[in-house]
Amino acid sequence: MSRLERSPKKKPLQKIDPEAYRQRIDRLGAIFADIAGRAEVVSKFRCPYRDRLDRCTGKFRCRNQETTEERDVLRCTHDGHFDYRSAWETKPESYNRAKARIKKNREISAAKRETPKVSSENT
Amino acid sequence: MADLKNIANEIIRREIEEYVERPDEIERNVELFSRTRPLMQEIAAALIEGNDGAVDQLTKKALDQDIDALEIMDDGLIAGMGIVGIKFRDNFIFVPEVLACARAMKAGMTYIEPILSASGVEPLATVVMGTVKGDLHDIGKNLCIMMLRGSGFNVVDLGVDTSDDEFIDAVEEHKAPILGMSALLTTTMPNMGKTIEAFIDADLREDVKIMVGGAPVTQEFADDMGADAYGKDALDCVAVAKGFVSVQA
Repeated sequence: MSRLERSPKKKPLQKIDPEAYRQRIDRLGAIFADIAGRAEVVSKFRCPYRDRLDRCTGKFRCRNQETTEERDVLRCTHDGHFDYRSAWETKPESYNRAKARIKKNREISAAKRETPKVSSENT
Repeated sequence: MADLKNIANEIIRREIEEYVERPDEIERNVELFSRTRPLMQEIAAALIEGNDGAVDQLTKKALDQDIDALEIMDDGLIAGMGIVGIKFRDNFIFVPEVLACARAMKAGMTYIEPILSASGVEPLATVVMGTVKGDLHDIGKNLCIMMLRGSGFNVVDLGVDTSDDEFIDAVEEHKAPILGMSALLTTTMPNMGKTIEAFIDADLREDVKIMVGGAPVTQEFADDMGADAYGKDALDCVAVAKGFVSVQA
């Protein structure tokens, strides 16, 4: 018996009807759309990083986190009566600063791009 | 009338009994799971529990047994995700649990993807997604990824704290026509603009459509940064990505 004959035959891949698959994707899309819509509503009063056991799943610091006896487990203490998102911000007033930084970054990048052009034109 | 006792899997029986409250949904789910194979019920149960390892193994096992991929989607993955949607709607679980279930779904779909490819079904497009440098918030991005995958996109997830180079390398490596960036803080949001500038510097800006989103981001900010589009939430993210694809087609 040759090596080829002894080796297990690789099963041919089954085929999927593209239209039937499209129907499944539409169904899945509808389930996910409901979930995403609901997530928007829930996130107005409950932090999305807070799991069903009220543990914080965020990998960042938040003022609502509280340590527990369990190692590496943080409890969320948010009471649902204020916008928890401000707790994520180191400087919540920095909105205008962000706008200025974006503008400055673009100017710096544009200037950098201009510089080699000028020097090549001169040579 | 469909009877809960006809469902072989104990986890599925318990899930319906404890968490599905509307009579029409109880009947629909009992009827659905009563007629499905035990292995499909196992896949659905593992998905509901967010156990991606088990979904991975069980989906592989089902395909090895020549079970039709559409049956695995219908009776295992989508049926399980249907229960997850109900539990989330009725506040029995929250976003972190839903995202674990979405990861389990992805684990199962990984085995279906080669079959799709062999059947001539290609993803709508590849989308590279990441949270910008300095930012560790990922839930909004992960919801977008769940929605994009559920809509037929191939998504490359770069995670959080993503540098300009990581975005550029991923777009080049995967030949992705779409890039999505997320930031949750006003302090990290300008880094999206920096990344866009890095794409211009790398002479790649014309090759990729860039969408941005996140709590502090607005259309005005997106315009200031030179992004192609702003997505206000996960639903909008899919609409924007589909818009890019239809323009390119």
